[in-house]
Amino acid sequence: MDFKREFKTLVPALVGFLFFAVLPAVRTSDYQLTIASNTIIWALFAMSFNMLFGMTGMLSFGQALYFGLGGYFVGLLVCHLGAGWFVPAVFLGVLGAGALSLIVGPMVLRLTGVYFTILTLAFAQLGWGIVVKWYDFTNGDDGIQGIIPPGVLGNKVTYYYFCFFLVSLSLWLLWRISLSPFGLILRCVRQNPDRVRFLGRRVKRNQLRIYVLSSMFTALAGALMAGVDNSVSTEMWHWTTSGEVILMCILGGIGQFYGPFAGAVLMILIEDMVGARTEMWSMVIGIIMLVMVLAFPKGVVGEFANLAARLTKKSGGMEVGLGTNTRS
Amino acid sequence: MDPQFLLIQATSGFTMAMILFLVASGLTLLFGVVNVFNFAHGSFYMIGAYLAYTCVSVLGFNFWASLVLAGLGAGVFGMLMESIFLRRIYGRAEEAGFQILLTYSFILIIDDLVKLVWGTEYKSISRPPGFSGAVELFGVLVPTYNLAIIALGLIVAVAAWLLLSRTRAGRIARATAIDREMLSTLGVNVPLTLTVVFGVATALGGLAGALAAPLRSVTPGAGIEVIIDSLIVVVLGGMGNFWGAFLGAIILGEVNAFAVAFVADWASLFSFIVMIVVLIFKPQGLFSPAKVRKA
Amino acid sequence: MRRSGWKIAMALSLAAVLLFPLISGAQEKVIKIGALYPMTGRAGLYGLDSVAAMEMAIAEINAKGGAAGYKLDALYTDSKVKPDYAVHVAKRYIEEDKVNFLFGTVSSGVALAVTEVSKQYKKIFIGTDAAATELTVDNLQPYYFRVSNDTFQSMAAGALYLKGMQAKKPWKKIAFIGPDYAYGHSQWNELRYNLDKLGVKYEVVGEHWPKLAQPDYTPFITTILNQKPDILVAGFWGGDTVAFIKQALPYGLFDKMLYFHPDAGGNYELMSAMGDELPNGLILGARHYNNWPETEGNKAFVDDFHKHTGRYPSYCAEAAYEGIYAIAKAVEKVGNPDDTEALVKAFEGMKLKMPEDPDGFTSYIDPASHQIVQVQAIGVTEPNDKFPPAKKMLGQWKVFKAEDLMPPKDFIEAHTKK
Repeated sequence: MDFKREFKTLVPALVGFLFFAVLPAVRTSDYQLTIASNTIIWALFAMSFNMLFGMTGMLSFGQALYFGLGGYFVGLLVCHLGAGWFVPAVFLGVLGAGALSLIVGPMVLRLTGVYFTILTLAFAQLGWGIVVKWYDFTNGDDGIQGIIPPGVLGNKVTYYYFCFFLVSLSLWLLWRISLSPFGLILRCVRQNPDRVRFLGRRVKRNQLRIYVLSSMFTALAGALMAGVDNSVSTEMWHWTTSGEVILMCILGGIGQFYGPFAGAVLMILIEDMVGARTEMWSMVIGIIMLVMVLAFPKGVVGEFANLAARLTKKSGGMEVGLGTNTRS
Repeated sequence: MDPQFLLIQATSGFTMAMILFLVASGLTLLFGVVNVFNFAHGSFYMIGAYLAYTCVSVLGFNFWASLVLAGLGAGVFGMLMESIFLRRIYGRAEEAGFQILLTYSFILIIDDLVKLVWGTEYKSISRPPGFSGAVELFGVLVPTYNLAIIALGLIVAVAAWLLLSRTRAGRIARATAIDREMLSTLGVNVPLTLTVVFGVATALGGLAGALAAPLRSVTPGAGIEVIIDSLIVVVLGGMGNFWGAFLGAIILGEVNAFAVAFVADWASLFSFIVMIVVLIFKPQGLFSPAKVRKA
Repeated sequence: MRRSGWKIAMALSLAAVLLFPLISGAQEKVIKIGALYPMTGRAGLYGLDSVAAMEMAIAEINAKGGAAGYKLDALYTDSKVKPDYAVHVAKRYIEEDKVNFLFGTVSSGVALAVTEVSKQYKKIFIGTDAAATELTVDNLQPYYFRVSNDTFQSMAAGALYLKGMQAKKPWKKIAFIGPDYAYGHSQWNELRYNLDKLGVKYEVVGEHWPKLAQPDYTPFITTILNQKPDILVAGFWGGDTVAFIKQALPYGLFDKMLYFHPDAGGNYELMSAMGDELPNGLILGARHYNNWPETEGNKAFVDDFHKHTGRYPSYCAEAAYEGIYAIAKAVEKVGNPDDTEALVKAFEGMKLKMPEDPDGFTSYIDPASHQIVQVQAIGVTEPNDKFPPAKKMLGQWKVFKAEDLMPPKDFIEAHTKK
């Protein structure tokens, strides 16, 4: 393993890690902590989603299903059994998402391409519909409020570090996965599933594995979010949530491991700034998306990597992490 | 159950299906024929409805003329969108994802544009003269305006099918879905074809919006509300198949009509359940098109 | 490198879009209000009307020198009708913008999420529209106050109306249609609760739950016609009422049964959207009417609003207008906008003369439930073109006493015991 290359990919991770680690100590207002909590959790959601989309080429439009499931595990258990269940509920939510994705996965994986996308959307919307309808159990679209993490976690700073620890651990795991032989197979699946089959690897089985893994990390993000907002709502299950995470990935760059992270940071900051300044946020965000898609398809991180490569006159560039597949 | 009531519900389902079909027809055209997923299709529906409102209520035009104008307006808007923006991302890696995003950005932009132009008040137009009542057919009361919609739905379905399968233009349009390069070497102006198909599809969306305006309230955000149902219709029938979309709309309409009558509590979930069942057992839709394209 | 020049231009224009001129907030002695309203999509009308009314009230109060020497200043953010986003914005208001009050929301889901933030941060939240009874019953917390009716009050008035009608024109069979979410379900539950409490005998022949923003009601209409109720109770929200009425008209539904829509049916936007097409004789209620009560206060409010915006207000504007006055009144009494606990005391039991109060009645905030206590009227559609573009308005009012409409003890107890 080339040390220099390893170093190059680790530097941004370390800088990011340090930044978010010291943020509570150097913050100038509590709001920065709120934004940081939101950001790292959405970043986890976006990065686990990108394991499907950017790495394996599976555009799921239904990851909100697992985000909502994670959040509602926490919400329902805390609401019915007491705040002491908060931490166990986070992990039960992850396991629950694993179980659900093992059931849904084989069904959605029968399809490919746009049909896969639509079927995942249908399942997620069905889940949303059930949560909205099953009023007695889920409290419907009123959502569940009063989800306060117990004990020391009730403090915003400690809760932030709790999230920070779990998110860092998860991202490290995702990073390991993406570098493992399994990660390599996934990348091959995206580029040429037939060849993977020729090589004696089972495409579907690998796709299912990453689908389950991604869904479990997504549920973790949802569960952690419940503690930040102190409430959960059916909006978590809605297709717009799935859409938002796709947007984050594209904004940051799907071809880069850190792309979705940067996308989540940017997206949250942009939504915040634009929302605070104009009621025409919808048009502003629309224009930003339009420009990104047309002019910067590699996302912020990808375009920066390109720029850096050009500036250092290294033709070919340093394709970090996932590598982009350029056709035409 | 009283058989008369079953007939009434079946008729209700059918009228519902015809509007669904009209809205979805443009989407299926793009989806199957030129392989573009236009998430913003609902926005063209909305534009059509607002244009019809302006023509009828502000400018005082004849209703049927306004329908045509609204369709044309939406179509022109669609052609601009395709030729200025969408065209730039054809052939990219992960094109599907970018299509969704690009067209999604249009939903956001069009929503605010509509708000700027027409405001947020609810708009609605009256049914055209002579179409405000209902007639009795075989003991079933059917509003005359719904009959007009059914007739138009049938005309659109037949015309589109004839156009696509029996004319040279239709064959070229279908060929663009399969191999654009080959078509290009054969001397066909592929970009122009795509723009025209896009224009026709968005015009259909605008027409549907204009037709629905007398039955609904037109508000900003109306576009996003019809897109999921249209998507279900398109998928049920098999993408790009007009008769498939027709059948898909009828299934969805009838399932809804009878769910409302017999399992009212859970009626709102049936659309998704039907779609999931169909996709799992018949992934290519009920009317599987001949292998349109290999992934 | 032509392409990269283009890209740089694009990047610069993006940056320009983002770097909006910052609003400088260097005023002294300001009461800051953080408002959350939907401003896009189909709820946008309500949000923008509320914002316009807020601005009106703020301008009026500031012109008179403000409250206790403080000027009012409001921030507005689109809630996007997303509870999670609204929570985020509410935290920004509190932590970054240092607002004194949270304000607004149309959607109950958003209000329930924001009231949790208000509770955690001990920041007063003035609710102006979201009508879920839970907000002042199940989820009541010390810092939430609501200056508009909840569904319980509307339904209590509705039940009294139906009872009164039964005496004159006997009815028995009743059906319900309303959106399939909490708002629809609570209306139906609360109406039945109130009917039972009043000892009204009735038979339910159907319950229908179209989704919110259902485009097509045809199958519902034919099913309802088949069930032949005497009274159809509707709980639609927003533009759905327009769509349902339009689609039901050719079926003659309104000749065959009485259409009764006590919570949001009498909203002005329904009248303005439907014009001539709106049938006469529908029994509708709303939380504020442009033509009732015919008091100076109400006329002045409606006319001012029309002058400011060029349109007549929807029901929600009045509560937003009054919410601002309530804040000014509380600050006036306490002397500063920072002593939250004293402000809470000032709100509890506060008397507020609102445009919707008929002569001889003044609304007040019930100290126990933090819910405003108001007279409620229900009217019948009839021709009236004084508020164009509407061609029909409500009339033949029946007015219900405020105290009769509050949730009774047993209802509150059943809901707060979990």
